[in-house]
Amino acid sequence: MDPPNPNPNDAPSLPAESAARLAALSLCGTRDLPPDFHTAEILDDDEGYLTSASRGGSSTSAWKEAPEGLHDDDKDGDDVSQPSPRSSGYAGERGSSLDDDADPDPDPDQDWARGKKHPHEDDASSSWRKRKKHFFILSNSGKPIYSRYGDEHKLAGFSATLQAIISFVENSGDHIKFVRAGKHQIVFLVKGPIYLVCISCTEESYEGLRGQLELMYGQLLLILTKSVNKCFEKNPRFDMATLLGGTDAVFLSLIHAFSWNPATFLHAYTCLPLAQSTRQAASAVLQDIADSGVLFALLMCEHKVISLVGAQKATLHPDDILLLANFILSSGSFRTSESFVPICLPRYNPMAYLHAYVHFFDEHTYVTLLTTRSDAFYDLKDSRAHIQNALLKSNVLIEVQRSLHENALRVEDLPTNPSSQSASHPPESSQDISSQSLSSEMAIGGPGGLWHFIYKSIYLDQFVSSEFPSPISNKKQKKGLYKAYQKLYASMHDKATGPHKTQFRRDEDYVLFCWITQDFELYAAFNPLADKTQAIKMCNRVCQWVRDLENEIFVYGESTLSW
Amino acid sequence: MGCSSSVPARNTGGLNTISNDSSPDASSKDLRAKLVLLGDSGVGKSCIVLRFVRGQFDPTSKVTVGASFLSQTLALEDSTIVKFEIWDTAGQERYAALAPLYYRGAAAAIVVYDITSPESFSKAQYWVKELQKHGSPGIVMVLVGNKADLHDNRSVSSQDAQDYAEKNNMFFIETSAKTADNINQLFEEIAKRLPRPTAS
Repeated sequence: MDPPNPNPNDAPSLPAESAARLAALSLCGTRDLPPDFHTAEILDDDEGYLTSASRGGSSTSAWKEAPEGLHDDDKDGDDVSQPSPRSSGYAGERGSSLDDDADPDPDPDQDWARGKKHPHEDDASSSWRKRKKHFFILSNSGKPIYSRYGDEHKLAGFSATLQAIISFVENSGDHIKFVRAGKHQIVFLVKGPIYLVCISCTEESYEGLRGQLELMYGQLLLILTKSVNKCFEKNPRFDMATLLGGTDAVFLSLIHAFSWNPATFLHAYTCLPLAQSTRQAASAVLQDIADSGVLFALLMCEHKVISLVGAQKATLHPDDILLLANFILSSGSFRTSESFVPICLPRYNPMAYLHAYVHFFDEHTYVTLLTTRSDAFYDLKDSRAHIQNALLKSNVLIEVQRSLHENALRVEDLPTNPSSQSASHPPESSQDISSQSLSSEMAIGGPGGLWHFIYKSIYLDQFVSSEFPSPISNKKQKKGLYKAYQKLYASMHDKATGPHKTQFRRDEDYVLFCWITQDFELYAAFNPLADKTQAIKMCNRVCQWVRDLENEIFVYGESTLSW
Repeated sequence: MGCSSSVPARNTGGLNTISNDSSPDASSKDLRAKLVLLGDSGVGKSCIVLRFVRGQFDPTSKVTVGASFLSQTLALEDSTIVKFEIWDTAGQERYAALAPLYYRGAAAAIVVYDITSPESFSKAQYWVKELQKHGSPGIVMVLVGNKADLHDNRSVSSQDAQDYAEKNNMFFIETSAKTADNINQLFEEIAKRLPRPTAS
């Protein structure tokens, strides 16, 4: 069953370039580095982000590089026409038009069905070298398990190189965190016999990329559980790639989420805005069946939670919700018919499989019932019928459809005086969120130059984000803003210099403001000319607005046992 | 053959039983049959089921995860009505250990291979052996060579498959979920071979 895999267990015959890289690494004097290794590398990058963040300054130079690096469709002629690899082994320090870093594909179904992007590529292809963000999973014997681009089997030599780098450092009694090579950052994550590596020139922070690798590992556990480690104990040359057959689309979709879904770095989930009474109706019916041996019952619309109920003492981690939703939404077969599938919730119990019953009520809305019983299918099928009846009777599914189109938070709707606004509109009506008239400011975003915000309730582990207004309408701009938020998040939570309470930062693309208290984290983007006092005022208004709407935009109250 | 109808599998909720739970007003000619599809990944198990149940063919193949459940009713010429409860299993290796969950208590099993893939034919033989060892006694087994429309790339000859099927007491048919060729015939043939309730 094993694919042809020429690389031996250790001492792989390294290609010249990788040998060079290894040599470069050893020149850094790894053994002496540990305490300084981390900071020295970051500062070398002239990114200046951490220093400016700790100063709380509003440097414009800090991110100047970022936008260039982020432009996927840059027609960077130099990179394309430059076939000769540099010392790092990568042509094009900045990526090129070939890269579509996590872009949704023009025809995602077709591409994701086969699951693999550009399967013909390998590490000898210049197009492969120009990709801006690679993800690899490999075993500790150097066998490829997953690669975002190219055919894993053809990347055996490259995998062996990565394995050699990791074991080179480990042999000196140390652990490798990352390596900088020009604009490229190579981030390593070792999880027992499984190694995860990200090679990126997207200017994302080490912490951010490491968090993404953690989620990749979580996704792998969701599919296989941690007991897969036993296979490596029995046979170090175990070929794990075959066990992951057909899951390329799941990983691709997760990688895509890294550039659009704030849940991937906030470690919180988001809810579909609904009138309190509607959500209560949904929660009541889930609660009804939670007593019949169901561990978790989730009603979701795409990536947003409508309601979730856990058996007593069982809590669902936001990362598990993210990975479960990603798995379900990226596997086309769930939409075709009701399904029963073993899955593992890595934060709940990484060792054991649960059994998931999944059924889509419509294209977007689906229920997931999780149980420990492998023979529970017919019981869960009956439960689902019960849920479906109750949801139809109480019009929940219709309200969900409406919310999907109408209930989004728009910065243009930010009330001038939130408290009085909500007093005149009873919070029971879900339409209220969007019923306010659109002001003339729509064309330029919200009041005070507000473009967008994300509000995370720390207590609830939930976040809410506004829709993108017209100034940030295209994909590239959205991705750019998310990456800026990710950096902001990383700098605010930086263990060395933080945690910080507020940060105000202005560059040529936006003014960003972050405010962290015991109760919430607020991330807001304004137009680059926004006034600071005005921006702070707007943030206060956003917080008040969110509090006024909390019964509609959060899963709130006792209806969910575990929260 | 008749014994399979008296082997309800407790741990699947008993719904796989063929006649035990028929309601009082149900015609004695109504049959319920649990049917399972097995075979390598990518041979077209889901396509066969979706062609039979919904009359559709989706060229953008979607990998089945775990197992999908569908049902379809078939009326035979002798006015017997058969309700198939179909378990379409995933062909991926990581789910192989789960197969008993689905074929246990099944009245019929469709083992599918792709006529353009000798590997999938070997895998089919593996499933046949597994069913012979662990399947319900008297289970109706069918060997299906799918993707018959790709006959230009055929690499498993009909004769070889036919011989193998005969040796193992199976019914053999070549189908194309894409063109719908032989799909209904496949399920009709299974329905005909299902054991009928002995007393009513």
